[in-house]
Amino acid sequence: MAGPIEQQIHRDPALFYWILLPITVVMILTGILRHYLSTLLQTTPKKQALLKMREQRHLMRARNMIINHAQISKAAFNKRKEWFADKVKEGTLLESGPDGKAKGKPNPLSDPAMMDGMMGMMKGQMVMMVPQSLIMGWINAFFSGYVIMKLPFPLTPQFKQMLQAGVGTRDLDVRWVSSLSWYFLTLFGLQPVYNFILGSNNAASQVAQQMQMQQQGNPMAGAEDMEKIFAAEVENLEVVEHWYVLDGVEDRLLAKFASSI
Amino acid sequence: MAEERELQIHPIMQESMQHNARIVSNIRALTASLFGVAAGTLGLESFPGFLFYLFGTLIISLLIYAFRAEGKPNMYFYKPLADLWMGDLFGGLMSFVLTWTLFYGLVKA
Repeated sequence: MAGPIEQQIHRDPALFYWILLPITVVMILTGILRHYLSTLLQTTPKKQALLKMREQRHLMRARNMIINHAQISKAAFNKRKEWFADKVKEGTLLESGPDGKAKGKPNPLSDPAMMDGMMGMMKGQMVMMVPQSLIMGWINAFFSGYVIMKLPFPLTPQFKQMLQAGVGTRDLDVRWVSSLSWYFLTLFGLQPVYNFILGSNNAASQVAQQMQMQQQGNPMAGAEDMEKIFAAEVENLEVVEHWYVLDGVEDRLLAKFASSI
Repeated sequence: MAEERELQIHPIMQESMQHNARIVSNIRALTASLFGVAAGTLGLESFPGFLFYLFGTLIISLLIYAFRAEGKPNMYFYKPLADLWMGDLFGGLMSFVLTWTLFYGLVKA
């Protein structure tokens, strides 16, 4: 038989009960804790001033009109478009009214609403980072220095440094790993467990949370010149090539009935 | 433009699509864990283990196609090929590896 001799290490079965199980249980419980912490720490969005609200709603309305322009007739669309362009020209939709048109861009750090948004993000990061580093420290302090299990698949030697941390043997196969690698496996693989304990849209997994973080985008984006944004929206409305969803609906209906007969 | 018009005439509900996608990914995650248990108990190593996972998910795709989508994936998925067959094929891989490693260790210890 050619090939290298398989290394065999006999381990005490107690390793499973005193290392693998505790780590797994702790990881599951941390996920649950993280979920409830993030729901507790969620700040309810602050009530916005009436005028600020009006500004944002009108902007949203213009954007929705661009997307759903097919749902209203051409006349109705043109009427709305003209009204919006007029109002933007007068500046009545802006928060500061027609007089405050030439006001400069506010500093994001001085705006309390902006600060709130950043605090929320900081809290989210804390809820993710603190348990993670705590558990890694715990595992390193108690369970490092010996191998506990064998992976069923081979890895490249680059992983040796990370997965066999504290085991000072040069020639040991990378498949033998210490407790830290079990931590990494549970970190990535426990999502379905959380799904079943906490329901599907939980905040337990940091992977999902990081994705969410990226989707939320920059909290500073609100501090822009609204007047320019409105002007851009007017231009976008101008270039919409309008068509109406009910155009030719009779033909479509008749064709549908004809084909079903 | 023609496709856009088609979408307005037969609109697609975002919520329903998300619901379907969530159901599919739940099924996949659960079965991936169970496949991991099976692979670990069988003592599969490296390549056969991953092949086992691949075959398992393909079978699960078939079962979803036959039972959950009732053989009409066009009714439930906007793009059946991407959402049902190809998409999320490796979504359960991490849970598979987790249970695989655990049971492999338990059995072979």
